[in-house]
Amino acid sequence: MAMQEENFSEHDSLRLINEMIGKAKRSYVTKGIASIVWGVLIMACSLLTWAELRFNWYPGFDVWLLVFLALIPQIFFSVKEKKTRKFTGHDEVTARYVWTAFAVAIFLTTFYDTRYGSNESATLFMMLYGIPTFITGGMFNFKPMIVGGVLCWMFSAISVYTPASVDMLLMAASGLFAWLIPGIILWNRYQKQRRANV
Amino acid sequence: MFKDLDPILHSQLRLAIVSLLISVKEAEFTFLREKTNASAGNLSVQLNKLKEAGYVDITKQFKDNYPQTLCKITRKGVSAFEVYVNALRSYISKEE
Repeated sequence: MAMQEENFSEHDSLRLINEMIGKAKRSYVTKGIASIVWGVLIMACSLLTWAELRFNWYPGFDVWLLVFLALIPQIFFSVKEKKTRKFTGHDEVTARYVWTAFAVAIFLTTFYDTRYGSNESATLFMMLYGIPTFITGGMFNFKPMIVGGVLCWMFSAISVYTPASVDMLLMAASGLFAWLIPGIILWNRYQKQRRANV
Repeated sequence: MFKDLDPILHSQLRLAIVSLLISVKEAEFTFLREKTNASAGNLSVQLNKLKEAGYVDITKQFKDNYPQTLCKITRKGVSAFEVYVNALRSYISKEE
């Protein structure tokens, strides 16, 4: 941008402001890796649990412990991304609080579940999945996540009337629509933008 | 014509910097240079003017053994920007 101080009119000022705000907004691109990892994991754990219930088969360990394994790539990629990022957006800070609140809610629900041995907690988990997904979708105006969040709530409502094995299929569908599909869309967008910048 | 406009903000590079900083929580010096296409020297001078006016906070630190300059708009900077944009709007509406 050639910064010309001469003949700098009101219209030029407004144009410049809009251009810079647009540039800053376009700079925020997420790869969607975290979304893909969690989508795959929730689907895998749900389908394995469904297989356990349906075929009375036990893999020898609690498959939901795999969720903790996902924390390793999650931390690795977020540290890597943070190192290469040259700015922090306002929305990112809000999103961080929303997802932290979600993690705490999931932990407390799991704790409650373990303490009281509830078999119907899939309904609660899907309801919780919908909250940060819907908010994040709305914040970044990203429709696939808004739809994913709404679908989680619909699956949560349906699961009230279905047996535990079907609940697991609904949970797998939640992982697919709330995280895996939006994550793949974000990844494709990121690759397209990277190619455009080369 | 522009006598009521804040002279600190009514400069293309300084206005570009403030417009970028208002859109983010904080940004590195390199991010501002990349987006404005300004030279490091010029950007540094204009950032210091904004800092002296109290519109921008500048933090210098080390990240992975490399120096890093972080810039953040202050509350005073946000208010000045709002006043500036409102003044621009009123000029334009008068014109129309």
